[in-house]
Formats: sequence, C-alpha cells, structure tokens
Amino acid sequence: MFEVLHSLLFSTLDAAPALVFAALGAMLSERAGVVSVGVEGMMRTGAFCAAVAALVMPTPLAVLVGMAAGAGIAAVHGFLSIRWRSDQVVSGMALNLVAMAGGTFLLESLYGPNGTPAITQLSRWNLPGLSHVPLLGALSGHAAPTYLALTLPFLFHLLLSRTPLGLRLRAVGDKPHAVATLGLSVPALRWGAVLGGGLMAGLGGAVLSTAVLDRFEQHTPAGLGFMALAAMVFGRWTPLGAFAAALFFAFGNALRIGLASSAPWLLDLVPQGFLLALPYLLTLLVLALQGQRGHAPAALGTPYEQESR
Amino acid sequence: MGERTRQVLPSVLSVLLALAVCWLTIALTRDADTATRAYLQMLWGGVGNWPAFLDGGSGTAVLRPLGEAAMKAALLTLTGLSVAVAFKVGLFNIGAQGQMIWGALAAALVGAHVSLPGVLHVPLALVAAAVAGAAWASIAGVLKLKRGVHEVISTIMLNWVAVSLVDNWLVIGPLRAVAEGASSITGTAEILPSAQLPRLLGESSRLNLGFPLALAAALGVWVWLSRTRSGYETRAVGLTPEAARAAGIPTLRRAGGAMALAGALAGLAGAVLVLGTEGRYPGSLGAPYGFDGIAIALIGNNHPLGAALAAAVFGVLRAGGTRMQLLGVHKSFPELIQGFALLFVAGRMVWLALLERRQKRAQAQPPATSQAQVEVPRV
Repeated sequence: MFEVLHSLLFSTLDAAPALVFAALGAMLSERAGVVSVGVEGMMRTGAFCAAVAALVMPTPLAVLVGMAAGAGIAAVHGFLSIRWRSDQVVSGMALNLVAMAGGTFLLESLYGPNGTPAITQLSRWNLPGLSHVPLLGALSGHAAPTYLALTLPFLFHLLLSRTPLGLRLRAVGDKPHAVATLGLSVPALRWGAVLGGGLMAGLGGAVLSTAVLDRFEQHTPAGLGFMALAAMVFGRWTPLGAFAAALFFAFGNALRIGLASSAPWLLDLVPQGFLLALPYLLTLLVLALQGQRGHAPAALGTPYEQESR
Repeated sequence: MGERTRQVLPSVLSVLLALAVCWLTIALTRDADTATRAYLQMLWGGVGNWPAFLDGGSGTAVLRPLGEAAMKAALLTLTGLSVAVAFKVGLFNIGAQGQMIWGALAAALVGAHVSLPGVLHVPLALVAAAVAGAAWASIAGVLKLKRGVHEVISTIMLNWVAVSLVDNWLVIGPLRAVAEGASSITGTAEILPSAQLPRLLGESSRLNLGFPLALAAALGVWVWLSRTRSGYETRAVGLTPEAARAAGIPTLRRAGGAMALAGALAGLAGAVLVLGTEGRYPGSLGAPYGFDGIAIALIGNNHPLGAALAAAVFGVLRAGGTRMQLLGVHKSFPELIQGFALLFVAGRMVWLALLERRQKRAQAQPPATSQAQVEVPRV
C-alpha cells in the first residue's frame, strides 16, 4: 500500500512543477488584468529554447534561456495588448498558433521529427535522512524545479497579499483608474506582470524538456498550458489556490497513468477519457456554481485607456 | 481613407507581411533560392500547375490541387464562420474545435448506422452534425447567459472535455468499428455510400459538395446578418448590449441563438470532413480546424464573406503545403504563415496608426476632426 502511494506521490511531484509554474504565471498576468490564453505558446517556446540551449551550455543555464524565451513571447503579447490595446484573447491565441507551427517548423528543419537530440537532464537531489521515511521519502530525489514549485506559491502569496507592490498589482487588475489616480503607471505595472508571467510560463516549459523529459518533443506541452489555465481558474485566481489545483490535477494524471499500467481492469469500469476530462469538467462545475464571473479580476481583459471612465 | 479600406487593408497587409516573414524564415534556415522554389511549389500545389497544364499536360495537374484547396477551404470557411457569428454578438467562440468533434461524430454515426436513400441520408447526417455542434456550444451559451461564466474559459474547457471523451473513450471504446477479418481499423465504422458527399469532378479531384455547401453557408450568414431583422438585432447586441436591451431587443435570446448557430456551423465542418473525405470518424480528428477558424474569422475581419475569402486563400496555401515537402520544408509551414497573419491582424491598431500617419504626411494638412472609430472585435 505504502509502495503504491509512494510512487504515486513521487510521480505527482515530478510532473507538477510545469503545471504549477505555468498556473502561477497565468495568475500573475490575469491578476493585473491581462488575459493569459497564450500560456501554452509561451510554454512551448520556453521548452524549445531550453532544449536547444542545453545542447551547448549547462542545463541550469538553459532553463534560464527558456524563461527568457517565454518572456520574449509575453513581450509580444504585452506590446499588442498593453501598448496597442488589442484584444487580449486574440493576441494570446495568435501566439499559440505561431508557437505551435513555428516549433514544428524549426524542429523539423533543424533536427527532424523525433525531437531534439538528448540533453543532460537537471540533476536530481537526494535529501539525506528523508529517503527512508515512509511517504515523506517521496519528497526526495527530485530535480530543483520540484522544490522551487513547492515554495514559490507561498512567496507569490506573500507578494500579492503583504507587499505594496502586490496591492498595486491586484488593484491594477480590479480598478486601473484608481491606480492611475495615485500617480502610478498602469501600463508599467501591467508590463511587469505580463513579463513576469512569461518568465514563469517559460520556466514551466523549460522544466518539461530539461527535467520531465530530456529533449523537446513534437507535441510539447500537449495542452498543459490550457490545463494550467484551468488550474488558475479552479484556484480562483489565487497563488495558493492555483498551486493546490495544479497539484490536484497532476495527482489525477499520475493516478491515471499508474492505473493504466498496474490495474487496467479498473480502467474498463472508468474509461480513461473520463479521467482525462475530469480537470476540465470540475473547473466548469466550479465556475457554474460560483456564477457571475466568479473571482476573476474586475478589469480582466479590458484594455486600459487613460481617457475612458 | 474610406471605411471599407480601413476594414480590408490591415488584413491584406497582414497576410502579405506574414508571407514575407515566413519566406525569410526559410531563406535563413536554408537559402533564398529554396525559399522561392518552395513558395512556387506551394502555389502550384494549391491552384494547380498551370504552366505545365498549358504546355499540354493533363487536366488532373490542375483539377487535383484545386480540389484539395477547395476541400480545405470548405472546412476553414465553416469554422471561420462559426467564430465570426459568435463575434458578431460579442462572444469569443474558442470552442469551434470541440463543436466540430461532436459534429463529426454525429455525422459518422448517422452515416454508418442509418440506411436511407442518398437524397435523404446526406441531409440527415448534416442536420445531426449541426444539432450536435449547436448543443455543445449551447452549454457555453447557457453558462454565459445564466451564470455569467466567461465563454473564453468555458469553451476552452469544453474543447478538452470533447477531445477526452470522444478521442480517448468513445472512438477507441464503445463506438470503435468491429474489425473485419485481420485488418484492424481505427475509428468508427465506415459510412455507407449513400451518406458520402458527392464528388463534383469525378475521380480526378476530391472536390465534393462540401465546398458549395460552405459557400452557401457564408452567403446565408451574410444575408441573415445584413438583411434580416434578427440578424440586425444580433449585431446590435454585439455592438452595445445596453442600448439593444433598451431598444426592446431580446438580448439573451439573440446571444444564445448566435452561439447555437456558431456551434451548428462548426458541427457542419465536422460533417464535411467525415462525409466528404475521411469516410469515418478517424482514430483522432487530427488537424485543429477549429482553432484555425479563429485565425480565419479575424483575418476576414469577422465578415462572413471576408471569412470565406480568407479561407480560400489559406485553403490554397495549405493544400500547397504538402508539395513543399518536395523541398524538405515541413507541410505544416502554411500554418505558420496563418499564425503570423493572425498575429499581425491582432495589431490592427498598429496598421491603422501607420496608415493614418502616412496619409497625414501625404495630405500635409490638419487631420480629420473626428477621431476615427476603430473596429475592435469584442467589447
């Protein structure tokens, strides 16, 4: 019994960071009022650039390159939606399409259909003393992103709820005009949040190709960006909520994959398709029950114009 | 600059700029000569190799590529219309993919398991697909109108629910075709010959009834939006919901109706795919035509005929994409062009500002008094 739980927890913690980082990134951008449907494209770009960079430099540095790439895509999003007040959903979906097709094109023309060459994965850390404790032992033996993913949500929580900057970020997503009245720059705050969100989404993607896998594959991230959006909504646009939802979805995935190999008879009773659909169904259900925009920031998706009231 | 120019010019410039940028990406990863030859291959693969044909080649050199282009254009037109119709009432339908999946499944089931003469079978399968798509879209519609759930989030979720349930359960489980003999088939049972969309040019080309059907749908939507009372009311709701309500327009009914129509159009796209070319619901639906619909609708500036035109252009490019493989360029290349075109269209304001500045410099006189209203798809 412990064996099974241990391996479930272990694979959950291995797979969760990408989802946690992307969900936090999306949350940061949306709390400041900028819709973040482009998170899938940012992850894909981050994953691709990290995998390519890791061919020529140490993997930890390559992860930083992936983050920068995510921020680069986010900068395009910011340019269109903050500077030029374009529709934020349109710009995000456009970036998804570009990243999808562009990733395939570059992969095929530079490396061929089977993905980039293998790279050295991020090294895994064994926590001495923990390895032999039942259940808690599942905490040991992961790469650095896992431990980062377990602490960052709390830092984000402190940032948003306990610092002046956090208050301003939240305010710029709810009542941008009030922020402007205080003499603060709405575009600057939103730019910061969008770029920060891009860094996080890029990190999420980079983790996929440097810790979960050892290369960039054709379909990376295969919808994980959209699942991160679901986690953010499910977690009511809060860091800790998004974190819990991301862990929950990652656990569900680990459970499904575990069941498929260890107890296929169970999957005859509950088809895999249902389990795959579950995160999205639950998110829809929560939204339907909350009603009236739920907990979304009030000015989400509304471009800021100084003159409009 | 006239209003019509302001609407059309940014889209045209965006597509041209996307073509140029993508030419550069091949020129940089390979060389300029390859890029130019790849573009020529793409053109010939889409509209037919006219030089070869006029030199006395066979008709298939032209008919086959045109048929492929028309087939892709039909699917893009229908999903593009789906997104455009929802836009007109102020809703962003990202869920065309999910609606298309259910439409395709419904068409495949009716096509395979109901026996009827062809005159009735095809229409019945089409109607079933439209109803299935409309029903799936209406979930998002009801959530929006009754519970205030934002349609962007709900349609994204519904897409993944549809993919999970249909591709990962129904099609590989309960609805999977019973294998005949040794060959195992993926996907649902093959549709009956009576349910196939008739080919229009015989065997030399895959052009089928789907293309005229899609064009008719585009015309129909255009007439509905511009010439009927309910279409006018739908547009009014999309422009200013408050004013529409004050004028006594049933805003909820118009919004719900437009969303259902959007779903029906995406469902029809699924039917055209299954009844026209695939012959069954394949193992997985593959190409994300539903997401392409977003690009097509916006490049067409949310105008039904504009969407049809954009679909024709990208149908040609994408049919030609397969020919680019001859030069080692991946066949998904036209999708990259399409993505960039959408990105540049998203910067419509940038285009308009640039054009305005140019015009001002040309006239060298004070700008027009009224700050021009810029068409933004959604309020």
